[in-house]
Amino acid sequence: MQSNSEEPRQEITPGQAQLDSSITQKINYLETLQRALHDRDDRQIYELIDKTRYDREVKKSRATTQTQELADLVANDHQQLSHYLSQNLIEYLGQTYPFFYYDEVQDGEFDIYFGNWWDRRLFGQLDVLNVAFNFDETEYNKLKRTFELSAMNQRYNTDHIAEITSKSAELQKLIDQQDERDHQKDQLRDQLKEVSQKSTLPWDSGKVKEERQSIVDQLSNLADQDEASMNANKQIKENDEQILGLSKEDTILNYEKQSIQQTFEDFSHFESHNQSLYTDYLNSLIGRGQVSADD
Amino acid sequence: MINENDPSTLSTSGRLLSYNDAVKEGLATGQAFTALMDQLINTKDPATLVEAAQELSVFVLDSDYVTFPHQYNAADYYLIFMSRLLELHDQGAAVTLQSHEGDQHLTQQLTALGDLGVFAFRSANDSTGGVYYQDQVTGEVLFYLNLKRQLMRMNSSAITKLFVETYLDKLEDEHILAATDLLIAFGQSLKEDFGFDVDFNLLDTSNSEFYAFTTSDLSGEIVDKLFVAAASENYMLKHAQDGAILELSPEVTMKIVSHNTTGAAAWGILIQDKAQQVSWFKVLLAYPFLRQWYLDNLDDLQIRSDSLVF
Repeated sequence: MQSNSEEPRQEITPGQAQLDSSITQKINYLETLQRALHDRDDRQIYELIDKTRYDREVKKSRATTQTQELADLVANDHQQLSHYLSQNLIEYLGQTYPFFYYDEVQDGEFDIYFGNWWDRRLFGQLDVLNVAFNFDETEYNKLKRTFELSAMNQRYNTDHIAEITSKSAELQKLIDQQDERDHQKDQLRDQLKEVSQKSTLPWDSGKVKEERQSIVDQLSNLADQDEASMNANKQIKENDEQILGLSKEDTILNYEKQSIQQTFEDFSHFESHNQSLYTDYLNSLIGRGQVSADD
Repeated sequence: MINENDPSTLSTSGRLLSYNDAVKEGLATGQAFTALMDQLINTKDPATLVEAAQELSVFVLDSDYVTFPHQYNAADYYLIFMSRLLELHDQGAAVTLQSHEGDQHLTQQLTALGDLGVFAFRSANDSTGGVYYQDQVTGEVLFYLNLKRQLMRMNSSAITKLFVETYLDKLEDEHILAATDLLIAFGQSLKEDFGFDVDFNLLDTSNSEFYAFTTSDLSGEIVDKLFVAAASENYMLKHAQDGAILELSPEVTMKIVSHNTTGAAAWGILIQDKAQQVSWFKVLLAYPFLRQWYLDNLDDLQIRSDSLVF
C-alpha cells in the first residue's frame, strides 16, 4: 500500500483548480496541434495559431475565447511551422499567382521573386503564418504606376528616357558643330585684329572698346562650347548606360504587368485577391478536407 | 690522296662521272616529284592523297645540278590537297582551283561565294609545316591546318568578319551557309578519314560545344542589352541558375552560362537543339537582334579561337 492513499485527501483550492484547468487547456491545445501536424491538417493548424483571425475571416464570427496565450506556446516554433506550412501554401500560390517564385533564404523565411526573366526583381517576402505577401513598397509602387501609365500608352520611364535622349542629341550637335565653331573663331580673331589696328581717335574709343568686348565675349562663349564638346562623348556614353538601365526596368515592369493581366486582368483584381488571400486559402483547405473526407 | 667526295681530287673522267651522278640524282628527285604529283592529282584514296600532300609540302625539288624554273610552293600543294579531298567526298564542284601561270601559284574560290573570296594557303612559319587558309582580298584567315600535327583550327574572328559582316549584304544566307558547310565538310573529312583533331569553333553544331567568350568576366550590362533587345523582338531572356536562357524557337535554345562543360569558370554560350544541327554561327545569321548584339559587343563576346595558332 502506498502511503499517500492512507492519508486524507487535501482540499483542492480554487487556485489549484484554475491552474489545473489552465494546464489541461494547454495540453489539449498542444495535443490538438500535434495531431493536426500528424494528420497534415494545415487548416486546423492555421486555426490554432490565430483563432481570432480564423473566426473572423473564415467562420465570419466573433471569437469568444481569448487564445493568444495558447498560440504563444509555440512562438518559438514559428520558423519550423512556417517551413512546414509553406509546402501546401506555395503549391496553392503556384496555381493562383503563377508568376511568383520563392526562395527560402532560411528556415521558414521566403523571398518573393517576380517572374522567371533575366534579373527579375526581388519583390518582397512571403509571410507563411499569416498567409500574406509583404511586398517591397518601392517595387510595388513602380508596378502600380506602370498600370496607371499604360492607360496613357506610356511606360514607367518614357519621360525620363526622352529627356536623356534629347540631352544626348544636344551633345551630339555640339560635337558635330566643332568645324563651324572653329571657322567662327578664326573670323572673330581676324575681326579682333582689325579692331585693334584701327586708329583710335579719342571720340571713337568708346565704340571701339564696345566692339572689342563683344568679339571677346563671343570668343569666350565659343570656347565654353568647345570645352563642353570635349566632354560630350563621355557624357553621351554615360547617358546610353542610363537609358539601358531605364529600358531594362521598363521591360521588366512590362513583363510584370503582362503577368498580372494574364492572371487577374487588371491591377485592382490583383490587389483585391491579395487582400482576401488568407480567407481564400483557408477556404480552399476546407474544400480540400471535404473532398478527402468524401473519398 | 683521292677523295671521292671532293671533285678537285678526281681525274677528269672521275669528275664527269660524279657530275653525271649528281644530275641523275637531281632527275630522280624530279621523277619522285612527278610521281607524288600524279598521286596528288589522280588518286582516289584519301590515305594516299594525304601522304602525297604531306611529302610534297616539305619536298625540295632543286639540287645543285638540277633546278626547275617553274615550281609551285608548299602552300599550293595544300590547296590541291584540299580541292582533291573535297572531290573525293563528292564536293568537287563546290571549289574551283585557279592556276596563275605568270608567277606559278594557285588560288581557290568557293563556288557558293561567287567572285567574292579568293583563297590560298600561306605558311604559318611554325617549323611544323602549318598553313593558314587566307582570303587574298581581305587578308582574313579562316582556318589553320597542319598535316604533320594532324590538326585543323577554325578562326572565329575571321569567320565572323567575312561571313557575318562583309558578305552578309552581298550574299543570300543559303550561299553563306553553303560556304561554311564546305569548310565543315573539309574538317569532317580530315577528322573521319585521318583522325585529325579539328576545332570547328562557332561552326560546331553539337549541343555540348561551349562557345567561350573572349571576356572571362561578362558584365551584367551586356546581358541587360540582350534582355532589352530580345524583348523588343518578343523573345524573353529568362533567368537561369547559371546565367540566362533564350528560347529562340520550340526547338532551339540559347544559354548564356558561367561555366564550361567541364565545370570550370568561364563565360560562354551553348546552343541546344534536338537534331544538333544549329551552331552559334547559324543563330547569328538567322537572328538579326542577336547578330547586332554580338557585333556591338564583339570585344567582350568574340568566341575564342585556339590561342596557340591565332
